[in-house]
Amino acid sequence: MSTTVTPAATLSSASASIASRRSVSIATILKWLVAICVAIVAVFPIWWMFNVVFSHPGVPISINPRLYPTSLSAGLNNILTIFTETDYLRAYYVSVMYTLLTIIGILLFSSMAAFEFAQFQFPGKNLLFGIVMISLMVPKAVTIIPTYLLTVQLGWLNTMQGLVVPGLASAFGLFMLIQFMKSIPAEMIEAARLDGANHFQIYWHVAIPLSKNALITLAILTFMSTWGNYIWPLIVAPSPTMYTVGQVVGLFNAPYSHTTVDIVMTANLLAAVPPLIFFLIFQRQIVEGIAHSGTKG
Amino acid sequence: MSSRTTRSIAHYLMLSPFMLLFAVFFLYPIVSGLFYSFFEWNASQTSHFVGLANYTKVFTSRNFEKATWNLLIYVSITVPLGIFVALSLALLVDSFSGFWAKFFRSAFFIPVVMPLFLAATIWRWIYAPNFGLLNTILGWFGMPSVQFLNDTGTMLYAMIAVDVWVSAGFNMVIILAGLKNVPRHYYEAARLDGASTFQQVVHVTLPSIRPVLFFVITYGLISALQVFDVPWLLTGSSFAEYGGRANALLFPVMDMMGRGFGSVRFGQASAYGFMLTILIVCVTAVMFALRKKFGDA
Repeated sequence: MSTTVTPAATLSSASASIASRRSVSIATILKWLVAICVAIVAVFPIWWMFNVVFSHPGVPISINPRLYPTSLSAGLNNILTIFTETDYLRAYYVSVMYTLLTIIGILLFSSMAAFEFAQFQFPGKNLLFGIVMISLMVPKAVTIIPTYLLTVQLGWLNTMQGLVVPGLASAFGLFMLIQFMKSIPAEMIEAARLDGANHFQIYWHVAIPLSKNALITLAILTFMSTWGNYIWPLIVAPSPTMYTVGQVVGLFNAPYSHTTVDIVMTANLLAAVPPLIFFLIFQRQIVEGIAHSGTKG
Repeated sequence: MSSRTTRSIAHYLMLSPFMLLFAVFFLYPIVSGLFYSFFEWNASQTSHFVGLANYTKVFTSRNFEKATWNLLIYVSITVPLGIFVALSLALLVDSFSGFWAKFFRSAFFIPVVMPLFLAATIWRWIYAPNFGLLNTILGWFGMPSVQFLNDTGTMLYAMIAVDVWVSAGFNMVIILAGLKNVPRHYYEAARLDGASTFQQVVHVTLPSIRPVLFFVITYGLISALQVFDVPWLLTGSSFAEYGGRANALLFPVMDMMGRGFGSVRFGQASAYGFMLTILIVCVTAVMFALRKKFGDA
């Protein structure tokens, strides 16, 4: 009996496995299809922006919907136009300085404070730490207007310090660095002290080199948020000589700005280049930095 | 003893730059903002105490009602939709391995790298009537041109699409980090019990990543409640004109900024900020309470 059953059973199980393999492969095809479609939706708007800049001028969109670039010289021409006929280069300089100074300030001040909070006990520590942590819960919406009024009182409207300084006390950066610096062994700090290093030297020669990864991640995240900051420059640097890239993009973008789409997209593309380059170089740090803030915070 | 005192001084010296900036540009503005909110206050006239008048003026204004209503609809769509998309993308990426997992993760993440002001300006042109990309595509299928950003029936949804485009990759990366921490043998056990892929997601994956989901939802809510850049740049983009047709894209932070910088009513704007903060703190508190009750994975 068993001998007659076996081939049939093998056959049916074989056909079942073929069927299941086929259904798996349909699921796999679907999976790939969805993944590719989503990838196109995610990347295409950026690709399209690039194409608008690098395409023959004057060809109507109905004939050339800008699905691919058609003219290198037209694009270069657009870039030249925007640099020579608008104040974009100046805005670029302001944005670069604003971002650079903010990164330096945040890294320096929050690493100094994080070093103390993470490694030492001193009177008032818990109170200070508690106040800073509560501030993580306070939304930007409530501080932005009084901070602006304070900046005006200080006479910092339309200045670089007005852009940079009010943003330097970053509770987020402090929190991130504290988490990291807690893992520095106390023995290393004690050893440095026995070698005769003073407090600042320990911070500078022991804690900073050991926190390199966290500092790089914080620098990149600060770069992205500062380069992309639109609302603060909009109110604190309203004079055209202090416009940031974001403001110029916003002005071109406004209705009745009489700017053609290729010029608008050139401004957009040039504003997108630094973050895109950063992403290509530091992708791992960016992704891990964001993932960490979500899983540890 | 004296070396201990000098060491304590060293601690405070290291903390002082951060704490000073924090006190001046964070704590002081909160206090002064509360003070301003009780005063009729503008550039031309001297300020005078008005009690709760600023609060009642904001609360009973038509723009406040419109902005709050818009916010309610916006938040209740964009947060669940955004997280559903992010979760789907995370599961999708997780189902690939090696090169393709990295490839699709990077592709889905690229919009996050774009500053919000760029995302908004790029999409503004994609939505443009007649010659915009989306209307060109609709035209291929013989459909009439839609005024996505000027038709009160579509404006909010057009904005939510931009929002999801930007935020999905951000949340995906955080959820992916959570997925990595789910022990593999949970899935094997579920599979042995005959659970389908869908059942595994519902009964194994989701409960295991609850803390991450709480973070993503809370963070998403807090940012959505303060939405500014995208609706600002999808509409008039200036203090003279914002909110779009029939104020269909007017949101509280925009309304607050408009009262401050458009009509120079900083007292009302400060009051607005505090009302918004109360809302946000309440929402955050509810989320934390829910997390405490259901969040332990």
